[in-house]
Amino acid sequence: MSASLTQEGIPSVDAHDGSHHDDHGHGKSGIMHYLWNTDHKMIALQFLWSATFFLLFGGAMALAMRWQLAFPGHPIPVIGHLLPHGVVNDEGAIIPSGYNVLVTMHGTILVFFVAMPLLIGVFGNFLIPLKIGAGDMAFPALNELSYWLFALSGIIMLSSFWVPGGAPGTGWTAYAPLSSVAAYNQTPMGQSLWCAALFVNGLSSITGAVNYITTVITMRAPGMTMFRMPLPVWAIFLTAILLILAIPVLSAAAALIIFDLNFGTTFYRPTGYGQPLLWQHLFWFFGHPEVYILILPAMGLTSEILSVFSRKPVFGYKAMVWAMISIGFLGFIVWGHHMYVSGMNLTLSAAFSVSTMVIAVPSAIKTFNWMGTIWRGSIHYTVPMAFAVSFVSMFVIGGLSGIFMASTPVDLFVHHTYFIVAHFHYVLFGGSMFAIFAAVYFWFPKMSGRMFNNTLGWIHFWMTFVFFNLTFFPMHNLGLGGMMRRIADPTVYDCLKQLQPLNVICTIGAMGLGLATIPFVVNIVWSMRNGPKAPANPWNSTTLEWTVSHPIPHGNFAVTPTVYHGPYEYSVPGLVRDFLPQNEKAPAHVTLEAH
Amino acid sequence: MNNAAYNDSSLFHAPMLAEVSEHDHHAAPPTPPATCKLGMCIFLCSEALLFSGLISAYLVLRESAGSWPPNFGDGIELPPMPKLLTGINTVILVGSSFAFHGAEVAVKKGKSGARWMLLAAMMGATFIGLQCVEWTELYHEGLWFNKGGVYGSTFFTLTGFHGAHVCVGVLLILWCFFLQVTKGTFSPKRHVALDNVGLYWHFVDVVWVFLYTILYLF
Amino acid sequence: MMNTVLSRLLPRQIAARFLTGGVFLASILMGGGAFAEQRNGNVYGLPPCVTTTGLQIDSIIKIIFWLTAVVFVVTQGTYIYYLIVYRRRPGVPAHYSHGNNTLEIIWTTAPTVIFLALAIYSNRVWEEIHRPAPDNALTIDVSSYQFGWQMRYPGISGKLAPMDVRKITPENPFGTDPSNPLTSQDVISTDLVIPVGRPVHVLLHSRDVIHSFYVPEFRIYQDCVPGRTIGWVWFQATQTGDFQLACNQLCGTGHYNMKAPIHIMSEKDFQSWITPRQQKNAGTTPSAPTASVAAPSPVKATDLTAPIAGTTL
Ligand code: HEA
Ligand code: HEA
Ligand code: CUA
Ligand SMILES: [Cu+2]
Repeated sequence: MSASLTQEGIPSVDAHDGSHHDDHGHGKSGIMHYLWNTDHKMIALQFLWSATFFLLFGGAMALAMRWQLAFPGHPIPVIGHLLPHGVVNDEGAIIPSGYNVLVTMHGTILVFFVAMPLLIGVFGNFLIPLKIGAGDMAFPALNELSYWLFALSGIIMLSSFWVPGGAPGTGWTAYAPLSSVAAYNQTPMGQSLWCAALFVNGLSSITGAVNYITTVITMRAPGMTMFRMPLPVWAIFLTAILLILAIPVLSAAAALIIFDLNFGTTFYRPTGYGQPLLWQHLFWFFGHPEVYILILPAMGLTSEILSVFSRKPVFGYKAMVWAMISIGFLGFIVWGHHMYVSGMNLTLSAAFSVSTMVIAVPSAIKTFNWMGTIWRGSIHYTVPMAFAVSFVSMFVIGGLSGIFMASTPVDLFVHHTYFIVAHFHYVLFGGSMFAIFAAVYFWFPKMSGRMFNNTLGWIHFWMTFVFFNLTFFPMHNLGLGGMMRRIADPTVYDCLKQLQPLNVICTIGAMGLGLATIPFVVNIVWSMRNGPKAPANPWNSTTLEWTVSHPIPHGNFAVTPTVYHGPYEYSVPGLVRDFLPQNEKAPAHVTLEAH
Repeated sequence: MNNAAYNDSSLFHAPMLAEVSEHDHHAAPPTPPATCKLGMCIFLCSEALLFSGLISAYLVLRESAGSWPPNFGDGIELPPMPKLLTGINTVILVGSSFAFHGAEVAVKKGKSGARWMLLAAMMGATFIGLQCVEWTELYHEGLWFNKGGVYGSTFFTLTGFHGAHVCVGVLLILWCFFLQVTKGTFSPKRHVALDNVGLYWHFVDVVWVFLYTILYLF
Repeated sequence: MMNTVLSRLLPRQIAARFLTGGVFLASILMGGGAFAEQRNGNVYGLPPCVTTTGLQIDSIIKIIFWLTAVVFVVTQGTYIYYLIVYRRRPGVPAHYSHGNNTLEIIWTTAPTVIFLALAIYSNRVWEEIHRPAPDNALTIDVSSYQFGWQMRYPGISGKLAPMDVRKITPENPFGTDPSNPLTSQDVISTDLVIPVGRPVHVLLHSRDVIHSFYVPEFRIYQDCVPGRTIGWVWFQATQTGDFQLACNQLCGTGHYNMKAPIHIMSEKDFQSWITPRQQKNAGTTPSAPTASVAAPSPVKATDLTAPIAGTTL
């Protein structure tokens, strides 16, 4: 149950006043401390390292897929022989069922084990208490439990590679009855483990979300009203609400797959009068909010970084908040746009098309406000700013392709083609991942007390920017050319043979994108220990986390800060410095503009 | 442990951890009760969505099966749901909510309330027992997870999910009971864990009323 | 104004230019790349469109393409312009502003209007595409399974034998009634053979998992859901040719290769393809294919499309 239950009688072991103290050499050993600690900053780092591992793992799978798509049937050079036998044949070339496994695991891992933990686990944990002026989360032990549930779910997910039948190959959407009938998928154990992993992962998300919501509601420092909260906090707060409402539906649906596979129930099997489309409705009821779960925090982080490096307040702060709130609400009534052509009632498709178009409006508002933020700013080009700036452009490309698919007749043509793959990589990589990179660089000095290496940072940025577009832009053309998703060998279709050069371009891009990741990982791993020491507030930011200096003590603030105004008071006329921290009162002669 | 609480290679070794120890002398004050309850309520929201997912699955399947119990055209007659026995069971479960409430009131008045807790737990256990009887009977009448198509699937899954929640609830109540009997943990000033178990228990009961209505009565 | 760390991190001017140049590059790619023209041997456009409904879809793609292209160029152009002119210059402080409500209202209403208009227009086309198949349509039962396709054509009487999705078994893959005399008349084929210029109404079925009926040149995608008859897909080919029917729903190991040939032929050729087969099944001596065989009487589409329980889900 929740840690709140254990509060009675068992005082929580954390969040004291921040003074250092010896622990007399007894108690848990060092490794135990590493495994079980309740400090939100440490938990953020646990998530960071785990997710980085999964990024390399899931990304490497994508590279294997790209190899197969460009050179179908050719053995993967060098590492082909090292891959497990369920994935490659004796020559080291990917076999069709292995390709399905790669697609499935790539999608699942990058969504649930990379993007979510990075955005929510890392930045939710690290930033919420620091930005609202709290000593820790409301339930520190629950917070650590959330990490370990996450780790457990990762282990369950990976273990599916080694069970009889191997990992599932039914796509990250696991459409029933393929996923729910052993005779159809041949991987009942792997599929059950996949469901179980998502169930546990969901528990982790829910425990985390309970913590975030409670913390934001109850633990804001004096003066920190809701409308003075920095946008990343707003974004993650709203994301947590989406998690609470969306995840349990996936958990229920996944449990039903487990039952269908193992106990002979017929929820999704027509022979027992089950409904295959029931799974799709439940999955997408979760799945669509899920994609906004992946973009809202990214939007919040980006908004702040754009503001800091433009030395300007966020343009339309309140509009930004309301846009996020409406994205959250509307996100629950658009799931059917993934099912226009699934056999669902046609009128329902038409209705979902309207709501889908409407949900693009708040995204438009945000885009315009980002442009307003840099307008007449004094833009400083740093690595995090470069990623944040590109985020906006990449998100717009991904969003605009979403408009094509939102139109029902167009989806009749492009559904399940590479046009979709292009769309969601533009929003997931160009959006979420770019924002994650920006945020990792931006808060790196606060997380580690050190600066990252700038040269490596710029190399990472340029390679990522160029190769990302090289990889995913041509996929629009592939999709419009008729190339289907999730096929192991496009050359079996006559009409796709002539598109093969584009596939080669994508693959070259993907290899470059893989290489681009190396300077990133090297940079954060190396600079954590060896980077030059960072000042407390290297970017001259206004929010509370920059008021504490490294090492941030347990409990964060020696004295609980008081907040006097909104988060983004940059370039206020009449001040000597071009920023006014949230915990500093504006001098009498200065008037702050209402926001 | 070293004394450098937060040294430079901190992120690889255990940095802020040196401060956390089992013998934490300056333990922070426990999280305020209102915060704990808020956390519980949020958690229950997600529980509610879990059951909503299951219930909507049931409704959709039932709606699309044509008749209920569905007619598979194989001549096998599917048993109807035992309304009466479960009706009594429903009363017992709802009654246990009141019993638990009695415990909360007693504790707030400065009494032990342990007997009320025990009563609530016993009533919860009775509910589980009767459900087991019912499951066995239905099994012998030819209904099970894998029998009777969606009719069996939905019934056993929904009641099973709920039953698991009841089991957890009974264990939680027993835990409160033992804390109270052995340590006298709960007092008019300190009873947030009790309140939270109560919230959970009432929630589970409310869900049951819904389930009883849609699974048995209609 | 900024401290030393920040200035150390500042890139050379060039980097800023590269950044903006890069965004431009993407926009050019977008312009050249997504150009919604028919593909004529080059790789930058749509495959040829051979159905009447496909043409409607192409025109809506074109509209959205130009709409988004304009939005893209305008927003990104402005954005890049800002990125260049508002880069940090010594002595020029940023403008202090928290926003502008009039602007917010404008850029909320304008997209709302555009999007709603687009939704209404889209759904009108959607309805048009899905209006009931014309009475003279040729009805074909398209049955999918792991991992292949089978088509069932009406026999000599011009009527498909009725089927029931709940009767589909390995022994009775089409779910037809063996006692019905029509059943043995049905013509079974592995290829989808269709006449040009006549509406073709396909009834989509699956025997196991979800598959999908996807033909890029037809601009049609539709899932085949087990336990259901999907009866609203029809099209009319505008030219003859050979294409491929693809399964575009992940359905297992053999998914990537689950395809069937499509032959669109003249009505005459079509008759000479189907008539001997119909006659063979009817027990009449197959006559040499001739053009003089009368066209089969039109099939009433509605006979077979009565929705089974649950199609509203
Ligand atoms: C971060 C994740 C993310 C985000 C933010 C979005 C955003 C959007 N998505 Fe996307 N989507 C996915 C992730 C995401 N999507 C994924 C993962 C899938 C595939 C799942 C799978 O099948 O595996 C998918 C699939 C998907 C489909 C199903 C396609 C199919 O399978 O056939 C559709 C259909 O409508 C869709 C639509 C949209 C729309 C309309 C938006 C909008 O919110 C976008 C709004 C933004 C803009 C429009 C740009 C900025 C606005 C302006 C510059 C203003 C002016 C613009 C105009 C006037 C045009 N998405
Ligand atoms: C946040 C989410 C995310 C991210 C970041 C990515 C990143 C990438 N994706 Fe992803 N993708 C999805 C989410 C994501 N994807 C989803 C949800 C699907 C749908 C799945 C489905 O259909 O079910 C999908 C599907 C998908 C497909 C379609 C497959 C198909 O339908 O057949 C393709 C094809 O090219 C692809 C490619 C890539 C590539 C090249 C990257 C690159 O960005 C990856 C770059 C590489 C790295 C970052 C790794 C670097 C690794 C090394 C340098 C090696 C070192 C290795 C070790 C030390 C172990 N993806
Ligand atoms: Cu059948 Cu894919
Ligand atoms: Cu969606």
